[in-house]
Amino acid sequence: MTQPPSPGRRTSPRVVLVHTITFRQARQFVPAVIPLVAAVGLDGGAPTIVGLVLGVTVLSLATAGLSWWRFSYVDGPSSVVVTRGLLSRSVRMVPNDRIRGVEVETPVLHRLFGLVRVRIDAAAGGVTDKGEELVVDGLPRSEGDRLRTAVLTHRSSTSATADGVPVAMPAEEEFARFDNRWLLYAPLVGSYLAVPLAAVGALFRLAQELPESVRPEFDEPDLSGLQVLAITAAAGLLLLGVGSVIGAAVVNWGFRLVRRGGSLVATRGLITRRHTELEIDRIRGCTVAEGAGMRLVRATRVNALVTGLGDAARRGQLLPLGPRKEAWRLVHRLVADPGPMVPHPVAARRRRLGRALFAGLVVTAAGLVATIAAGWWGLLVVGVLLTLLGVPLGLGRYAALGHAAGPRSFTVRSGWLVREQAVLERRAVVGWQVRQSFFQRRAGLATVVACVGAGRGGYAAIDMAADEVRSFTVAASEPWAETFSR
Amino acid sequence: MGAMTIARAPVREPAWSLSRSAIGLWVTEGVIGSVFAGIGAAAVVLFVPSSVGFLRWLVPAVALVYAVAVIGVRPWVRFRVHRWEVTGEAVLTLTGWLTRTWTLVPISRIQTVDVTRGVLQQLFGLSTVAVLTASSQGTVHVWHLEADVAQRVADDLAHRAEQVRDQAT
Repeated sequence: MTQPPSPGRRTSPRVVLVHTITFRQARQFVPAVIPLVAAVGLDGGAPTIVGLVLGVTVLSLATAGLSWWRFSYVDGPSSVVVTRGLLSRSVRMVPNDRIRGVEVETPVLHRLFGLVRVRIDAAAGGVTDKGEELVVDGLPRSEGDRLRTAVLTHRSSTSATADGVPVAMPAEEEFARFDNRWLLYAPLVGSYLAVPLAAVGALFRLAQELPESVRPEFDEPDLSGLQVLAITAAAGLLLLGVGSVIGAAVVNWGFRLVRRGGSLVATRGLITRRHTELEIDRIRGCTVAEGAGMRLVRATRVNALVTGLGDAARRGQLLPLGPRKEAWRLVHRLVADPGPMVPHPVAARRRRLGRALFAGLVVTAAGLVATIAAGWWGLLVVGVLLTLLGVPLGLGRYAALGHAAGPRSFTVRSGWLVREQAVLERRAVVGWQVRQSFFQRRAGLATVVACVGAGRGGYAAIDMAADEVRSFTVAASEPWAETFSR
Repeated sequence: MGAMTIARAPVREPAWSLSRSAIGLWVTEGVIGSVFAGIGAAAVVLFVPSSVGFLRWLVPAVALVYAVAVIGVRPWVRFRVHRWEVTGEAVLTLTGWLTRTWTLVPISRIQTVDVTRGVLQQLFGLSTVAVLTASSQGTVHVWHLEADVAQRVADDLAHRAEQVRDQAT
């Protein structure tokens, strides 16, 4: 804030071409153009369409050029300043000590033009509000690297922990490397399965919007035969599986996690290369998540819990997908092993089972009434099925419960659809919350939430024995937790 | 209640109870809630055709039970349960009436301390102290303290937090 208004650096003019092609700035005019087109109509035929395309391109070029001309940035000794705005000017200033990380990404078009996009992530107070972001789009690769190192060097020299002498190029140490065979796990992971589904959905929407004459004509498919149905289902499943593998490959291709000095650097992506940097000093723990499908093949996903990190779910990823053994090796390099998990008391199993069976039992009761009163037995069958399904669900949810406290770290685990285990350092805890409902009180149980200034903000040990709460909280955080017993 | 629940409490109770005016405030809140429930129930009785039968009277009955609970029972149970304490190292509160919640935050991890006074609270001369940490779930609310006590507690906490704050969040 003390620096004089310097001229500022500019992004590469080549970015104008990139933005013209992608209609980046012109996109905001689309809502205005549509009614215009609707009013004028497309009756003119080819000349009208050509004119429209030309008009949009010129408009896009103009806005891209204008916003390039109005954009400048300065990475000063105390803060990063970005000046932008088409009509109104906006100046954004982020002090260096608020900067949490720098990400360099290279989408395909940028790569063609030898450009990169730099995102500078600044913490904005609480964990809940998404951290602020400065985006400097369209730098030559060398300038992008310079900006990244410059910003990170400034930051570490202003922070209290660093010794102020930035090492030129610290040695790299590899923490994890993605093995392409792990892509085969993708069909069992919910989020990757959603990729082909979304693609198919988008395709359908596109087909709906195409004019009648262009739409390809299908004969009404004959779905009467069982054989056809089976083949269609098999093809659909195959498509889903292949699509999810492709989706996972696009995002995770060539994933590599290395330690460079005081930070962890993750690079990945097939089409858009991403380069994310996390400060090791700010890592408070890790979560290891396994979906129900992933557990079948012992696959997991590892995220880092970093204080004050915006968009933590994406940026904090340490291992997007991999075998359990590999994942735990990685976790234990960052956080001390808290020791074997302590299971929760039998009363907790009763509670999990009761909750899992409740819905099924209610439907069964309603079904009984319906059967006796009206001879309508459909509901009864559904109720019995739900109840039967509730048994493995409840047992599974109970099996997931557990906690452990070691000398330097602790861990809690819960969840069935996605089983998540958080391993946290003792210093991570900024508070405890102990909850006890009426029924938990009668069963001698309590739920303990470790409040953490990272990730979701709190990680719970559900239904642990009420007698163990005091010893666990003291073992898992610093001495102030003894307030619970004194 | 009583000895049994205390014996099974997972952690100790904080030492101090709230101001007695809090009961008045909770009763007032209960009355306001009951008035709205009553209006809703009256609307159901008026507009649902009488052919529905006894079900039509189920809603007002539920509203009545609700009113008795929130005016006659909840304020007193809450007053017995709600407790708070500020020790040399931490702030500890206990809240709830059916589900009990203990929250413990060390003074060294306090980020901000807020004092708020709602409209109803002003009528009863009460204030709420909110102690915020870096965690979205680690916020302690000390509800319904006398206004001057609340201000003193907040000033004291803010002052001590500044002295012992450690850099870790």
